[in-house]
Amino acid sequence: MPYAALTPPEAARWAHRAGLVLPADRHAAVAATADHIHSVVAVLRELDFGDTPPAPAYRATAAKETHDAAV
Amino acid sequence: MQPYELTLAAAAAAIGARRLSPVELTDSVLERIEQVEPQLRAYVTVHAEGARRAARHAENEIAAGRHRGPLHGIPMGLKDLIDVAGAATSASSRVRSGHRAQTDSTVAARLSAAGAVLLGKTHTHEFAYGLTTPQTHNAWDPGRVAGGSSGGSAVSVAAGAATFALGTDTGGSIRVPAALNGVVGLKPTYGLVPRHGVTSLSWSLDHVGPIARTAEDAALVLAALAGHDPRDPASLTAPPAHYRPGPDTDLTGLRIGVPRTYYFDHVDPEVAAAVRSAIDRLQALGARLVDVEIPMTRYVQATQWGLMVPEATAYHESSLRTVPELYRADVRILLEAGELMPAGDYLRAQRSRTLMRQEWARLLREVDLIAAPSVPMTAVPAGQETVTWADGTVEGVSDAYVRLSAPANITGLPSLSVPVGHDTAGLPIGMQLLGPPLGESLLLRVGHASEQTRPTGHLAALAAPC
Repeated sequence: MPYAALTPPEAARWAHRAGLVLPADRHAAVAATADHIHSVVAVLRELDFGDTPPAPAYRATAAKETHDAAV
Repeated sequence: MQPYELTLAAAAAAIGARRLSPVELTDSVLERIEQVEPQLRAYVTVHAEGARRAARHAENEIAAGRHRGPLHGIPMGLKDLIDVAGAATSASSRVRSGHRAQTDSTVAARLSAAGAVLLGKTHTHEFAYGLTTPQTHNAWDPGRVAGGSSGGSAVSVAAGAATFALGTDTGGSIRVPAALNGVVGLKPTYGLVPRHGVTSLSWSLDHVGPIARTAEDAALVLAALAGHDPRDPASLTAPPAHYRPGPDTDLTGLRIGVPRTYYFDHVDPEVAAAVRSAIDRLQALGARLVDVEIPMTRYVQATQWGLMVPEATAYHESSLRTVPELYRADVRILLEAGELMPAGDYLRAQRSRTLMRQEWARLLREVDLIAAPSVPMTAVPAGQETVTWADGTVEGVSDAYVRLSAPANITGLPSLSVPVGHDTAGLPIGMQLLGPPLGESLLLRVGHASEQTRPTGHLAALAAPC
């Protein structure tokens, strides 16, 4: 899907919604960097995740955990 | 040979046999630091008096018959993301001005309990968010990058300015500088070494591990670091393992996967040739080489960024709002842009990680380990921002250095970088060995076998004794 680049005012507004007030002289650079990051991560939208859950962030049963490595 | 030139294993043996005192060794390394620091800048701070005091204490204990083990009396450096009680953890950043750690990190406490002597804190790319460590210079050519983010740790070990050091690795930050400076770097299995008291870059990708001159040295350090700590939520409860490789270099029956894809794409021909020669030498030791297909390579960078960018921004949320001007420009812009990443992108990266872990687990049922280049090219000149490959593709230097490291960070698999030669400019080349979860003993055994096929453990040529 084509993606329209963020404009500097949009970057400022998005950052503000996230609680970060950007000085005016940062708007254009942040927009460009955010666009670049978006172009990298957007490729993940190609994947068919089905029922795949996110990798776990924590284990409720950590005390009982045994030899459980990352894979 | 001067004491600072000794490997950890050799120094430990000499100390154990009372042929070398911890004070002699520490004094020698401190003198070496004075000699090379003006051109290398590996350290943020050097605690010479504290190191001499700790060395005298170690010497007295050993003289009294209380030898704690192979790290007792061995001088080392800690990446300056690692808390030591009473000392600043600067993260090589002005943001941390005035910082003072209240308590030891788990790894600092464990090294202290093992009797290691803290020399000082080594430079990192600011908050570990970068691959070059611009404050520090490559030990083989000061005009080239140290690599990062554990650049100070790798350079200090390569130059004889520390007998070993610790680094952290979120996207290659132990293995990249280890490869670029001709030393050994181990990123352990996710959760094997506790991160309590270590400044985070990205919680789900961060690892702590040793940088040393040989695989055997790395094994001795890992043995002191590994073990459960409930204060790190990812910490594993795996039982203690024996990591030190034995003298036998026979690899008969071992299945070594050689990637058909990804790990040899967009790699400097001299790097590829050196790594393939090293793999051939492993075959000559009895290993069986198996062509393998690396899974989901198209999604490696997207997954790494999808995890790291929002996690790093979250860690810095407060200081990015209060003192943004204190960050270096390259770090500040990434932290700011990270505020704009939707949660959906982060969740896709976490789900991609689930798939990638499954695929790598399948791959590692076909082979025992995988051998590949650690980084696509040797150390670039400081200030170089891009690399142009033979097909005309232009890639950012940092992107290139992360590219071959990221799969092990995403999956949590252990990965060891060992030096395997030099390019025609004399710059070190590293080979990466990737194995199954908790496969450190195997990787260290193969790394040690690789070292026996060629001279290793030498100090950087530039920093050689004069």
